[in-house]
Amino acid sequence: MQRGSTIEKLPVGKDAQRVALENARKALGSIILGKDRQITLALSCLLARGHLLIEDLPGLGKTILAQSLATVLGLSFCRIQFTSDLLPADIVGVSVFRKDSGEFEFQPGPIFSQLVLADEVNRATPKAQSALLEAMEEQQVSVDGNTRALPEPFFVVATQNPADQIGTFPLPESQLDRFLMRLELGYPDEANERELITGDDRREMLRNIDAATTPEVLQALQRSAARVRMSEPLVDYIQALVRQTRESPHIEIGLSPRGARALAAAAKAYAFVERHSGVYPDDVQEVFASIAGHRLKPAGNTNFRSAAELCQHVLDSVDIP
Amino acid sequence: MARPRGTDGSLLPSLPWTLAALAFALAPHYQFQPIWITIAFIACGAWRYTIEKRRGSLPSVWIRAFLALVCFLGVLTTYSTISGVGPGSALLAIMAALKLLETRKRRDQFVLLFIAIFLVMSSLLREQYLWSLPYLMLAILLIMTAWIRMSADATEPARQSFATGGRLILYAAPIAIAMWIFFPRISTPFWAVPIDTSTATSGLSDTMSPGDISSLSLSDAVAFRVKFEGAIPEPRLRYWRGLVLHRFNGRTWSGNEPMIGKRSREQVSIRGEPTRYEVTLEPTHQQWVFALDMPYSWTLSNTFMGPQQQLARVHPIDQRIAYDAVSYSEYSIDTDLSNYMRTWYLRLPEGSNPRTLKFAQEMRRSAESDTEFIVSVLERFTNEEYFYTLKPPPLGSNPVDRFLFDTRRGFCEHYASAFAVMMRAVGIPSRIVLGYQGGELNPLGGYLIVRQADAHAWTEVWLEGAGWRRVDPTAAVAPERVNSGISAAMFGGFGAAWGLATPSLLLHRLTLTWDALNAKWNEWVLGYGPDNQDKFMKWLGMDDPDWRKMMLTLVGIVIALTLLVSVLLMLRYRSPPRDRAAILYGRFVRKTGIEPAIGETPDAFADRAATDSPLPAATVRTITASYLDARYGSLDPAALGRLEEEVSSLR
Repeated sequence: MQRGSTIEKLPVGKDAQRVALENARKALGSIILGKDRQITLALSCLLARGHLLIEDLPGLGKTILAQSLATVLGLSFCRIQFTSDLLPADIVGVSVFRKDSGEFEFQPGPIFSQLVLADEVNRATPKAQSALLEAMEEQQVSVDGNTRALPEPFFVVATQNPADQIGTFPLPESQLDRFLMRLELGYPDEANERELITGDDRREMLRNIDAATTPEVLQALQRSAARVRMSEPLVDYIQALVRQTRESPHIEIGLSPRGARALAAAAKAYAFVERHSGVYPDDVQEVFASIAGHRLKPAGNTNFRSAAELCQHVLDSVDIP
Repeated sequence: MARPRGTDGSLLPSLPWTLAALAFALAPHYQFQPIWITIAFIACGAWRYTIEKRRGSLPSVWIRAFLALVCFLGVLTTYSTISGVGPGSALLAIMAALKLLETRKRRDQFVLLFIAIFLVMSSLLREQYLWSLPYLMLAILLIMTAWIRMSADATEPARQSFATGGRLILYAAPIAIAMWIFFPRISTPFWAVPIDTSTATSGLSDTMSPGDISSLSLSDAVAFRVKFEGAIPEPRLRYWRGLVLHRFNGRTWSGNEPMIGKRSREQVSIRGEPTRYEVTLEPTHQQWVFALDMPYSWTLSNTFMGPQQQLARVHPIDQRIAYDAVSYSEYSIDTDLSNYMRTWYLRLPEGSNPRTLKFAQEMRRSAESDTEFIVSVLERFTNEEYFYTLKPPPLGSNPVDRFLFDTRRGFCEHYASAFAVMMRAVGIPSRIVLGYQGGELNPLGGYLIVRQADAHAWTEVWLEGAGWRRVDPTAAVAPERVNSGISAAMFGGFGAAWGLATPSLLLHRLTLTWDALNAKWNEWVLGYGPDNQDKFMKWLGMDDPDWRKMMLTLVGIVIALTLLVSVLLMLRYRSPPRDRAAILYGRFVRKTGIEPAIGETPDAFADRAATDSPLPAATVRTITASYLDARYGSLDPAALGRLEEEVSSLR
């Protein structure tokens, strides 16, 4: 499709950032095959300064996606494997007594990285979960009464097995809200699965890949993404969608104003990645399921089997102004 | 430290604008402020910009507190107070400079722009000239632009920000003008502007000590302007009476406190034709009110005539005032002078200026009458080698002796003083009048400009039967001074003798034009007080204007203007171009013959229409792209034009 409407009037310097973003997208696409839509969504999530929750069965490439995001975006990376005996100190760090100096010294935990992968976040106890969630919300952690700022940019990519597995503590709805997007990866298609079976080891590939951007460029991109134009009719559209989630008989609890803001921010970032000259209705529809899916509470008597179907139903019942 | 101090360069695009707005707001203060404040501002601005550029950290709270303390003490030592216009605006400038060092967010930048607005306004406390208005407009425009630059996205061209700022000012201007016209003026202001006393030195001094000041500065600052009803008096009659000095201690002449003594208008008897005129007096911060010799009536409130026929006002004149007055050039005062008063006006200090006393008494003996004596003294000034100069040599003790017999060079003060002393030496009561003499006619405005350089001193002597008569000994020495005025003499080549460069005539004409403009400005804009307002209201047809009526009118006008601007804005935005895009797109959808589903995006619809409709796929794609851009995308009107063209070319 011809895009005669791409953002052309970018000032000097932004072109380089653009190129970096495209390169990042391409590099991610070469590692995670056939998941272009999810990659674009994940990038949009980070550009909208949001945290990402990836929910799927084991072995579908959740960890690889998080790792390659960190590598490609040039962010410092740390992985925390959540287990049922994980303690908050294992996440944020501890103060250690040094014998030679006679003082306590703070040993920063894995959370002090720009991109933190919280693997299988629903396996840990609510106490450990909340240490992570506080850090996500406040962009800082409190240890021994001291508040320590986290690095900037700071992203959490959490992965979660679907809740019907044994021995998990599902995140409550109120905490799911802290994740801007929830993504499902799904199985690869035939051709890509074949390539995965025969091709190089993905972790090996990751080691040979270069960073496409720097944290500074990423921050500049975030600022540009926040400035994408949102026209009046499009704001009307977002409002109509939000209203529909509240009024639909299939939904018990609809989107909150925070959810509406999240939808707008994510749509802006998506439009930015797609190089649209403003937020188009397509951008809103593309991000809608990942924004609303984990925020909506379906009504008890609904016949929609998944959040995705529910979201599609909302999209299909609202006219685009 | 809980608050992070790092910068991320996000202020970089708007910071130069904020700095420019602040610098522009500070500019008029520059000449009044100690140089270190300007340097501090420039340093802080450069420092802050470098921090943002390098993404560095702002100085810590301790450094900022230390700097603030140092600057505060600096202001305190410079002015030895912190109240008043000077120290106040210096503090404001310092605060703006230091605030830069803790400006992290947009909110802090707003504070800076607020300070800039205050700085612009405070410059009006110092001076309000004709050029203040364009400066004010420019400064506000720049501040508005900085404001818009701060909120707008960085891709907006600066030209557009200026246009938006200008438009906002234009919307506000009618309301500002209405408020200025209709807001009720009251004669006594509720508040007094704190006057910068350290620089308020214009006007005449209350005492006169010839010989102490060895040169007179020729300031061409305007003292007052006069508009005559009818003919303008001849130059030799233009004596603007100010204060009267009658006490002499051998060196210095001094007078009474302005308001002490019997009101003595009754002692004036007048003859002949009155001269009516209006004086616009620049602020002097003194109480003296100037009028043509001899004033008979005046319209200025709280103004009285003192015992020596000097006019004074109860409050110092801290603002430009205008008053009407009537004077008579033929008059007689105090034809009966009591013995007590007579000896008062004859008092000379013991033992000072002995040569003068002896010489005067000898001269008197050879003259037949007092009048003849006066004439012979004046003739002595004319015929012997006396010179009129503005740079006389300094005189030591017994200054009158030194001047009369040794140096023989001086200006009006020297001659008036010597003359008065000689009169007193032979028993003729005498006193000295300080005021202005002459004035330049501005042909463009038809009014007289009297400048500080026209300041003059002359004498009055009391003669039996005639009362006080004006005698100007300077006229005997330098008749040009009195007949043509000091500025005419200057520009006539006489100035060269005083060591002054002669400005070109063209420049002089420009000066006069500028002054005429200023006079109109003063009269109609700055002088728009209760009287002018009353006149203007009556001219507008409001009978018996009072503050209630004016307030009501003002409220009505403000409401009407607000409504008008709102309607204009609504008309402007009523049919946004985006809706046109929707109409065009609707036309295109009908042409495809396919019904879009609920919630189907234009792109999804295009996918369907490309295969299912009779329209060529490429056309469908182009129109959809143009529509998305025109309706949801850029503000560029070209996108709409493109869509218009594409849809109208559909068959």
